[in-house]
Amino acid sequence: MTNCEHIAESLGVWLDGELTLADAEVIRLHLESCAQCDGKRRQLEKLHSSLKGVLGSNLPQLALEPFWRGVQKRIAEKRTWRQEVMEWIHSTLAGPAVAWAVPAAIVIILAALSVDSLRKLATPRNNFAAVESIDAHGRNVALWREDETKTTVIWLYHNQEGENESSGENTETGRSF
Amino acid sequence: MEPSDWELVQKCQAGETGAFQELVSRYHQKIYVVIVGLLGNREDALEVAQEAFFRAYRKIKSFQGGSSFYTWLYRIAVNIAIDSQRRQKRNPLDFRETMDGLFEEQNEVAKDPFSDVHDRELRDKLVAAINDLTPEHKAVIILRTVEGLSYKDIGEILGCSEGTVMSRLHYARKKLQEKLSAFL
Repeated sequence: MTNCEHIAESLGVWLDGELTLADAEVIRLHLESCAQCDGKRRQLEKLHSSLKGVLGSNLPQLALEPFWRGVQKRIAEKRTWRQEVMEWIHSTLAGPAVAWAVPAAIVIILAALSVDSLRKLATPRNNFAAVESIDAHGRNVALWREDETKTTVIWLYHNQEGENESSGENTETGRSF
Repeated sequence: MEPSDWELVQKCQAGETGAFQELVSRYHQKIYVVIVGLLGNREDALEVAQEAFFRAYRKIKSFQGGSSFYTWLYRIAVNIAIDSQRRQKRNPLDFRETMDGLFEEQNEVAKDPFSDVHDRELRDKLVAAINDLTPEHKAVIILRTVEGLSYKDIGEILGCSEGTVMSRLHYARKKLQEKLSAFL
């Protein structure tokens, strides 16, 4: 950003008297030496005076008595619960309350996720394991696999009855070794 | 010696309605002018101003003096006005007609500052350009131009930072300048 662009950005703040003394002095000195920026200052000042003319100096006086009577009437009036709720909603959602809505939503989402992960931690783990019985040419082999610890146990066992060569998830067979 | 706003607020909190009436007399005109600027309609502005004081009365017990009373009151009023403006979406011509009406009334007692043809045209364009601003941009322009409030106070009223006030003012002025480039 060039110096003139920077000055143009700050002219309004300077005219409003919201700059520090040092920054204001920098602008003042620049305006003395730059006709283009000084022209922008004049434009902005004219806009400001026109705005004042339109908005500020031509409104009629508002009489206090009738105004106060209107306020008193409202104070005396009993409002319905619906009006009260609507008023509460509007005042809650208006202005700065909305600014809290986004961070509040983020906090709620993070809290929900944290609760979910804490619940997972608190719940005892189920180590799912599979026991397979395999027919390996007359020998009985059982495999036990557990994914969590990547453990595999292989049993070779002798079938007492010698007849049961069935494979698959035979729990009865599993219990016999 | 006149009691301060805070002393009057404390009396209101103790149940003295007279103290609230004194606060109304101090600020009703200022609040009304700001709301007319925002809504561009005197009847609506009167309604909103009265509603703002009514709500302030109801909430006054919760006012702890953390900010000045007038920024608190302006905050209530501006929020109602912006909300009302969004909901009603009135005819954009209303603002111009109202302001024209105000100028006509004023001409009877004083010289119109926009009596020159060129300036009158500028005024019309300016009113139209103000009307095209969003409620938030219009609010910063009015609070700054009409009330001469500081960025800090405007930020408190609108519930935003001073930086936001600064950028909104910059944007609003830029928009107005673009639309009025032929006149400035």
